Amino acid sequence: MQTLLWLLISLIGAAAWGVLALHRGETISAAWLVLAAVGTYLVAYRFYGRFLATRVLRIDPNRATPAERLSNGRDFVPTSRGVLFGHHFAAIAGAGPLVGPVLAMQFGYLPGILWIVFGVVLGGAVQDFVILFASMRRDGKSLGQMAKEEIGPVTGLAAMVAVLAIMIILLSVLALVVVNALRDSPWGLFTIACTIPIALLMGWWMKVWRPGRTLEASAAGIVLLLAALVAGRYVAEHPMLGPALTLSGTSIAWWMIAYGFVASVLPVWMLLCPRDYLSTFMKIGTIVLLAVGILIVLPPLKMPALTRFIDGTGPVFAGKLFPFAFITIACGAISGFHALVASGTTPKMLRRETDAPLIGYGGMLMESFVAVMALCAAAVLDPGVYFAINAPLGVLGADLQTAATTIRGWGFAVTPEQMQGLATSVGEQSLLARTGGAPSLAVGMAQIFSGAFGAGLTALWYHFAIMFEALFILTTVDTGTRVGRFMLQELAGHVWRPLGRTSWYPSIILTSALVVAGWGYFLLQGVVDPLGGINTLWPLFGISNQLLAAVALCVGTTVLIKSGRGRYAWTTLAPLAWLLAVTLSAGWIKIFSPEPRLGFLAHARQTLEQVAAGTMNPVRGARLVFNDRLDAAVAAAFMAVVLLVVVSSVRVWLDVYRGRIPAHTMEAPVVQTAFAS
Amino acid sequence: MRRLLDLIRRVAGMPNYAGYVDHLRRCHPDRTIPSEREFFADYLAARYGDGPTRCC
Repeated sequence: MQTLLWLLISLIGAAAWGVLALHRGETISAAWLVLAAVGTYLVAYRFYGRFLATRVLRIDPNRATPAERLSNGRDFVPTSRGVLFGHHFAAIAGAGPLVGPVLAMQFGYLPGILWIVFGVVLGGAVQDFVILFASMRRDGKSLGQMAKEEIGPVTGLAAMVAVLAIMIILLSVLALVVVNALRDSPWGLFTIACTIPIALLMGWWMKVWRPGRTLEASAAGIVLLLAALVAGRYVAEHPMLGPALTLSGTSIAWWMIAYGFVASVLPVWMLLCPRDYLSTFMKIGTIVLLAVGILIVLPPLKMPALTRFIDGTGPVFAGKLFPFAFITIACGAISGFHALVASGTTPKMLRRETDAPLIGYGGMLMESFVAVMALCAAAVLDPGVYFAINAPLGVLGADLQTAATTIRGWGFAVTPEQMQGLATSVGEQSLLARTGGAPSLAVGMAQIFSGAFGAGLTALWYHFAIMFEALFILTTVDTGTRVGRFMLQELAGHVWRPLGRTSWYPSIILTSALVVAGWGYFLLQGVVDPLGGINTLWPLFGISNQLLAAVALCVGTTVLIKSGRGRYAWTTLAPLAWLLAVTLSAGWIKIFSPEPRLGFLAHARQTLEQVAAGTMNPVRGARLVFNDRLDAAVAAAFMAVVLLVVVSSVRVWLDVYRGRIPAHTMEAPVVQTAFAS
Repeated sequence: MRRLLDLIRRVAGMPNYAGYVDHLRRCHPDRTIPSEREFFADYLAARYGDGPTRCC
């Protein structure tokens, strides 16, 4: 019976892939994408996930987890698997899996769906699972600590610096996504601005007024948030408030920088924690809503399977299908950042070792499914509309008429009236060149939602989607700034002791300001970049996130080899090899490509020539050149750190094989579990 | 209904004071039980202490 069921699931999945493969050039339903993905996930979880659990990692059902042995009722808490699955998923899913697939849509939907589904099954979910397992066997140690203990102290330090640098790039690019979604959009800005007083009220509610009543405060917060969403329309139409809230990208960027600083300095109960709850509920709710919407509407995919831009001439970002599709979609296929959560709170909450496959492997499959849904939401747009929203002004031309002509030149139909009508229907002045992925995703989601839950509310659904994305990006910005501050304080503490004290105000203010200045600088440069900023920053973020995944896989491989599981090291070595190929070649191309659109250094040279020829303002030219060189240096530094980690890991592996060092790891002692049934 | 609310609380990673008091009574009867305010402060420190709690 079981066998028959799995045979059926496999056949359905295979049939869906078959439909995708055979119907090239025709419009097909998004249902096939969803079926192909879900079929593959189920088969992979049942067979590969179980193989990893029983053969490779040798999960021990009788061994007590850290949550059981060290139970303290606070962070070490044995948690039932269903609850922990939700908790872990809410922690790993963010804006990444929503934005990446939308940007990569410039190649068509096929490369995206293939990489998201097969990347996660063989790479991302393996990474999350192995790191979760390793941390669980080491009392919930962090990735950095494991790198230090298993590979060496220099590697541990390198991993720490890399995480901080990646955090800075991540925060700047996510902030840029929000800025591009909110500029000249009084409705969106009003709703998001309201989340700050709402969070302050919630904080006061659960800390001062009714201590510990977090759920009550969150319910009130959600009601107020939805009220602010509805009120936003009237504020935007108000003759005085509307223009007052119509801000340029630069001013919104400055407000975000100020917000990030304040959120990092204030006590967490005032702003951070309430916002975190709000965004968790909105995230889970909206993702469920989107899944239901897609299943009800089963929208046809209007984007082609492949576009002409696989040759590298695409307007959304520069570069060919290989390697750039694989760094543009990071989260959703494989995300190094997850290794930080999988070695953070989650391993301290596992009740049984046997829960780890569902949480580690299954949780990542769920995130991948979110990426598939984002892909569907982007693929239901007309290709012409997609490019009008996602290509930068510098490429499209400044007005609708020129933009429509440019896009027709690429072979996609779009009219100025169509774009104007679409903008009006979602309550915006213009949707042209709203780069960053969030607006086009929101348009797609609004189409799906109004198709599923009643038309006529398109504008409300659009702003709901924008609010949902901006809300949890801002949560990442404030928690990220704070975590960056802690990391910087830890590093600075080695230089001068008092700087390492996390509750000493001068140190808090100094390190917060440094972290904010770091991402704020990249953010402001991105906002004024004529090519839209996303063009430069998203690939940099993709490269850094994938390189962090490479570090995590190095740690995973080392753990496997040192614990006598060496014959299965290919499970982590294969994705590691692929990631190194992708990221190192992408990094190399971004630095050294002779094409100014693509290579940082070539762009700097071109700018210098323009300054010399007198066609560019020298001050602006000097700034552009400096930024290009800075971006090149950042990419080079990431690559250097990863090569360092890879080389020192390989040396450890070889030493174990040659018998020079014993195959011995730092696992916590074996204790029998009391939870075994 | 109580169970549903409890489920939501735990998925969102909210503090569970009653559960903590229970845990202390069962496993550490010698320790003094903190007030709900103190517990909330400890919870925040543990949750946002170090390491990212949210991904990209």
